[in-house]
Amino acid sequence: MRPSQLQAHIYILAAVAAVLSAVCVRAQDAQPGGAANHIVIIRQVHFNPPQMTVKAGETVEWKNEDIFSHTVTADDGSFDSGLIDPGNSWQRTFKQAGTIGYHCRPHPNMKAALVIQGTNETGAVANVAGRGGTLKWSPPTRPEELHPILVNFTAALLPLALLSDVLGRIFRRQSFHHTAWWMVLYAAVITPFTAAAGWWWRLTEGSTLPAKLITVHEWLGTAAVLLFVVLAIWRWSIHKRDTSPNWAYLTFALIVVLALVYQGSLGGRMVFGK
Amino acid sequence: MKLRKSYLSVITSAVLLAAGAVTAYAQAPTDPQIAGIVQTANHIDINQAKLALKKTSNPQVKEFANQMISDHTSLEKSVNDLAKKLGVTPEDSPTSKQLKQQAADETKKLASLRGKAFDKEYASHEVAFHQTVIDAAKTTLIPNANNAELKSALEGAAPLLQGHLEHAQQLEQSLGAK
Repeated sequence: MRPSQLQAHIYILAAVAAVLSAVCVRAQDAQPGGAANHIVIIRQVHFNPPQMTVKAGETVEWKNEDIFSHTVTADDGSFDSGLIDPGNSWQRTFKQAGTIGYHCRPHPNMKAALVIQGTNETGAVANVAGRGGTLKWSPPTRPEELHPILVNFTAALLPLALLSDVLGRIFRRQSFHHTAWWMVLYAAVITPFTAAAGWWWRLTEGSTLPAKLITVHEWLGTAAVLLFVVLAIWRWSIHKRDTSPNWAYLTFALIVVLALVYQGSLGGRMVFGK
Repeated sequence: MKLRKSYLSVITSAVLLAAGAVTAYAQAPTDPQIAGIVQTANHIDINQAKLALKKTSNPQVKEFANQMISDHTSLEKSVNDLAKKLGVTPEDSPTSKQLKQQAADETKKLASLRGKAFDKEYASHEVAFHQTVIDAAKTTLIPNANNAELKSALEGAAPLLQGHLEHAQQLEQSLGAK
C-alpha cells in the first residue's frame, strides 16, 4: 500500500469515527422507559417502604406524592435522581446485587435502603451470564457482550505499541518500531467499533448506569477514538521516515495510555462495582 | 439552722413551680394562635431565604435557600388550606410577636454581612431557627393544639423541620461555621 493510499484510508477512518460520534451525541438524550416492577411512595417526608427487596435487573419507581420536592440519592453517590417535584416520579433499574442505602438530599433525615438480590454478583455482566450461565458459545450480538470483547483489543494494542517503541529505542531494533506502528494502526481501526458498542450499550441502558461515571466514560471514550487517530497519523509519519519516534511522541502516547487505563478503570467500576 | 435551710428550700421550690405553672398557663396558645405562629415561622424563613438568594454567591447556600422557599411555601399553603377548612383565622400571640422581633434583629444583622460571613451567619441562624421551631412544636404547639387535624398536621410537619435542621447543619459544617 502506498503512503498516499494509507493516508487516504486513515482520513476515511477518522471521518467514520467522527460520524459515529456525531450520531451518538444526537441520540444520547434518548432514555429507555418502561413499567416499573416496584414502587416506592414518597409521602410526608418519608420513603415508603423504607426497605425494599428487589431482584437484579428489576426496575424501581419512586413516586412523589408529597407536597415537597425530594431526591433519591445513593449514599455512595452512585446515583441521584435530581429533584423530583410533587406529582412526578423517577425510576431506575438495578443490575448489581447488594444493599444500597439512599436518602433525600434536601431532607437528610429521609433514609431508606434497597436490597438487590442477584443471581450473579457481577452486576451488569449478569445480563451476559443471564443466558442460562451456560458454557455453550453463542455469537455476541448485544452491546454488553460486544463492548467488553472489543475493549480487550484496544486495551492491549496501545500499551504494547508504546512498549514496543520504547524497546526499539533501547535495543535500537527497527523491527520493534514496525510492530509498534502496526499495533497503533490496529488500535485506531478497532477503537471506533469499541466506542460505538459502548455508546450502543449506554443508549440502551443509560439510566441504569451510574450517572457521573457513565458521563466521564462516554466522553473520554469518544475523545480516545479521536486521540488514537491522531496518534496513528503521527506514528505513520514517523514510520514513513523509517526513524525512531521522538520523546514528544512517546510522551503523548504515554498520556493516551494513562487515559486509557483510567477509562478502563471507570468501565470496570460500572460493571463490577467498587 | 438545718431546719430553716430546708424550709427555705421547700418554699423557694414551691414559688418557682407556681411561677412556672402560671407562665405555662399564660403561654398556652389557642388554635388560632398556633396557626399564627406556624404562619409567622414560615414567613420568616421564606423572607430570610430570599435575602440569602440576593446576597450569596455560594451554590450550596443558594440551593438551601431555594429549598427553604419551596418547602415553606408549600407548608404555608397547606397550613392556610387547613385553617380555612377548620374555620380558624390565624392570630398573633406573644410567641409570634417574639419570633417577629427576633427575625427583624436577625435580618438586620444578616443585611450588614457579606460574602462568607453572611453565608456562615445564615447557616448558623437556620440551624438555631429550625431547632427553636422544632422545640416549640414539640413542647408547646402540638400539646396545646385542640383540633385533632391541626395536631396531626403539626406532627406531620415535624419530619420536614427535622430534615431542614439536618440539612442546615450539613451546610453549616461545610461552610466551617462552627
